[in-house]
Amino acid sequence: MAFNSNLSWFKPLVDISGRALLPVHWLAMIPSRLDDWAQSTFFSRSELETENSRLNQENLVHRAQLQRMGELAAENLRLRLLLNATELLGDSVLVTEVIGVSPSPKNHTLIIDRGASDGVYLGQPILDAQGLMGQVTAVFSGHSTALLITDSSHALPVQVLRNGMRSIAEGTSDYNRMRLRFISPTADIKVDDKLVSSGLGGRFPPGYPVGTVESIRHDSGANFIEVKITPSAEIDRSKHLLLVFTSNDGDTNRQIQ
Amino acid sequence: MTSVKSVSLLFGTILFATVIQLLPLSGYYFLWRPNFLFLVTIGWIIFRPNYWGIGFAAVLGLFADMVFRSPVGLYVLVFGVIASLPLILSRWLVYFTIVHRCVFVFILVIIFELLENAIFGLWGTPTDYRSIPIRALLSGLIWPIFDKFFTKVVILRP
Repeated sequence: MAFNSNLSWFKPLVDISGRALLPVHWLAMIPSRLDDWAQSTFFSRSELETENSRLNQENLVHRAQLQRMGELAAENLRLRLLLNATELLGDSVLVTEVIGVSPSPKNHTLIIDRGASDGVYLGQPILDAQGLMGQVTAVFSGHSTALLITDSSHALPVQVLRNGMRSIAEGTSDYNRMRLRFISPTADIKVDDKLVSSGLGGRFPPGYPVGTVESIRHDSGANFIEVKITPSAEIDRSKHLLLVFTSNDGDTNRQIQ
Repeated sequence: MTSVKSVSLLFGTILFATVIQLLPLSGYYFLWRPNFLFLVTIGWIIFRPNYWGIGFAAVLGLFADMVFRSPVGLYVLVFGVIASLPLILSRWLVYFTIVHRCVFVFILVIIFELLENAIFGLWGTPTDYRSIPIRALLSGLIWPIFDKFFTKVVILRP
């Protein structure tokens, strides 16, 4: 392990094994693909009609929200121009599919079906429909490996949506839980507070949902309170994810190199 | 059994164990899933101790490091150390009843998990000791399938 962290000899071995194990991951995903295929093939007409009606309703709600968002974005841009601030560019995304998951509960990684040929780069943020999932940690030609935000070696800067209080959210090796470190007992944080990425550090774009405060505990005598978070993203269930191409990709690439 | 058949069986069992290990699961099923690669390793060591020993376990440990994406050397150490127990006891283990071998696997998996978690703890990874007895119990409960396979296919096949 000391060799692993200090020497680069094992990196080619890890890279080769990453490529060699891809067909095995593909084999392991067959039951899941069969389940998807069966669900999409053997749907009854009434089920399809029900789903179609539900999706139409959701679409209407989302379109209404989008109209409001467009108005807010325009207003935000006008205010930024008034303040003479730099214009924020929108993030573009690329849809990707999970083709493998780490079998170890201690190591939260995913394999996705997009690689260097699709423009994926190291450190690229990944989202699902609910929130931030993780970041790309290894890029191959046709696939990549991503580290999830719940991995115990992962931490990301966040802020409380209600009041903008900044903190660091750490993974705990539990798919349904993260924690905030070094929060003062007098800090303004409550259960059910929403946390979003703060954008500090330049790795994750700001404003993406990270989680919700699940519980706050203060042990008498302890210097800091213990804050547990439930991740917004469906970390262990999402199959289709989004790779975010942020407006400062070039800077991020340069930092990694 | 010819060596070609033996090697094909060996690779077949490893591939099968790897695929089962990589099946995407969620929730508690994921936490409770036994380490199939380890079960296959000890199966070969118990039933073919003259051919497969600690070196074989260490190589499979290296493979497990790649599969689990753990720090290289972690499973080499754990597989190598724990595999020495069935290797030492293999002469007696083949004469045990299947129930006794299940109990042996249960104990072996507990030792395996404790050692694995202790090393992960040194590495700074949070450990959850509550899932250890359940994983060991499930390993012991599914061992008869491995046992039947090894006794019928690996040992008895001419």
